[in-house]
Amino acid sequence: MRITDRRFALYLMAPAALFLAVFVAYPLFRLIADSFFKISPIVGGPRDFVGLDNYVRAFASEDFIGAGWRTLAYTVVVVTLEFALGLGMALLFTTLGRKSQIWRTVFLYPLMIAPIVAGLLWKFLMIDNFGLIGTLLYQAGILSNPNQIGWLSDPDIVLFSVAIPDIWLTTSFMCLVLFAGLQNIPGDLIEAARLDGARAPAMLFRIILPLLRPVIAVALVVRGIDAARAFDTILIQTNGGPQSASETMSLLIYRTMIRFGDPGLASAMGTIYLLAMLAIALFAVATIWRPGKDS
Amino acid sequence: MHVAERVKHDGGKPAAVPAKPSAEASAPGGGRRRRAVNREGLEAGRRSTRIILWILLAVAMVLYGFPFLYLLFTSFKPPIDTIAVPPTILPREWTLENYVNALGRSGVPASFINSAQTAIISTVLSLVLAVPAAYGITRYKTPSGRAFIMAALVTRMVPPVAIGIPLASMMSSVGLADTPIALSIAHTTISLPLSIWLMASFFEAVPKDLEEAATVDGCSRLGALWRVVIPVVSGGIAVTAIFAFLASWNEFLFALLMTAIRSQTTPVVIANFQTQFGLDWGSMTALAAVYSIPVILLTLLLQRKIVAGMTLGAVKG
Repeated sequence: MRITDRRFALYLMAPAALFLAVFVAYPLFRLIADSFFKISPIVGGPRDFVGLDNYVRAFASEDFIGAGWRTLAYTVVVVTLEFALGLGMALLFTTLGRKSQIWRTVFLYPLMIAPIVAGLLWKFLMIDNFGLIGTLLYQAGILSNPNQIGWLSDPDIVLFSVAIPDIWLTTSFMCLVLFAGLQNIPGDLIEAARLDGARAPAMLFRIILPLLRPVIAVALVVRGIDAARAFDTILIQTNGGPQSASETMSLLIYRTMIRFGDPGLASAMGTIYLLAMLAIALFAVATIWRPGKDS
Repeated sequence: MHVAERVKHDGGKPAAVPAKPSAEASAPGGGRRRRAVNREGLEAGRRSTRIILWILLAVAMVLYGFPFLYLLFTSFKPPIDTIAVPPTILPREWTLENYVNALGRSGVPASFINSAQTAIISTVLSLVLAVPAAYGITRYKTPSGRAFIMAALVTRMVPPVAIGIPLASMMSSVGLADTPIALSIAHTTISLPLSIWLMASFFEAVPKDLEEAATVDGCSRLGALWRVVIPVVSGGIAVTAIFAFLASWNEFLFALLMTAIRSQTTPVVIANFQTQFGLDWGSMTALAAVYSIPVILLTLLLQRKIVAGMTLGAVKG
């Protein structure tokens, strides 16, 4: 007997669905369940139900609130800067046309570098004493002393410094996506605007950006989600320091679990973090992306 | 001269969908949006403007290219020179000492094998699960398929740190602690949703008549998928494989949580260098270079495919 199409489709999807259920949904369920317990870090140790106590502790904790704001600030800085730089590069490549192709290829390379390597590399460039950036700025006469800016040791600017590798790594992604979007803008539209006397800024803000809207929205949502989860680059550069000034949510949860051995509290933090990410991301998808409505 | 150049311009753009399936398959079909052409539009015309723009591009390229070059240069410096004050850009003398130190350190060669093993297993697992699932979603358009692809999108929003720890304890409770298999499964939780989305877009471009003709000729549905559809989307499968491989090769957080001695991957070893050997920057830069170069070369080689994969979702909106 022949099975129905609907059933056949179900069979095709079942293995992947099962995999995600076992290895994503179930761990998430465990995470949420653990958040209601006080758990000893020792394997097989005691496990006491404490209700919402871990959540109360999380919200009462300065570290947690601080990490929340830092994660938000970090995400905004990373996404804004890489969008501005990526758009600039995409416009540059578009206006230069075909001859820039080889440079577009070269521009891809940071994307392939492991975040951990990128973090290490920029740490090496920004580190006090033998960091090259301070020395170059000093030699250029911008700084009066190579160590004037403590990129990774000054709590006031460290959150910006640790964002640099992330921006460096993923500007190429923004650039490529926006470049592809620019290629899809009909030429006659630009020509018509030009005949109407539109100058460059008007062309950019009135014609190009509105037409790129769906592409921009997807790129911002995708990168926003990734930036909010930053871990590798920050861990290797500062490990969250100095004085927690670069401790974002992923780092705090990791440390709460591993360093301070408090799985219950870490699970509550993880659950809040997850819910906040989902809420913000779904809101962004629904309002700015609006799949299907823009075409 | 400008006219000739503009006419040729179209060839340089990254195809939003790899050429094979889409161009041949859906060309006669109705409703497909005409390729937009902006060669008249955004290219700068005046010579002086173009010169300024080329200079800007050169500056950007130096800024973006320099950090990795500096890492390479540093890796060839004598170890003591890597932390010289003030630092120099080029090595005073070129030496392979850092490479010998880094690669000779115990655990380093093994970590490369672990990284490769993990990435390969995870790539295969992603493809085996994603290809049929994406086909089921796009070919049959059932409500469960739509629900499933949305669920896959939501999975992308899950922070790895949130599931990493429960996942690690699950793995150890089934005796898979500290194995490449466990880490591959963890990496597949990241690459599978992406693979499903990518493959769904590639299947979307295959016309239905293709496998209908095959079924009329006596193929089963599975046979039609295997013998007719899969070969058509093979380019898309390659793109998906590259992304799954890269995701695993570069991943760090799961690797940190789930590996110890036996299955440590190179990113974890690089991170450990900091704590274990103090400021051995020379070895660290050498190891980082060795780990990055194969994927950079792979990318430059396969850049068309990678660009296609990266821009696919976004441009289709």
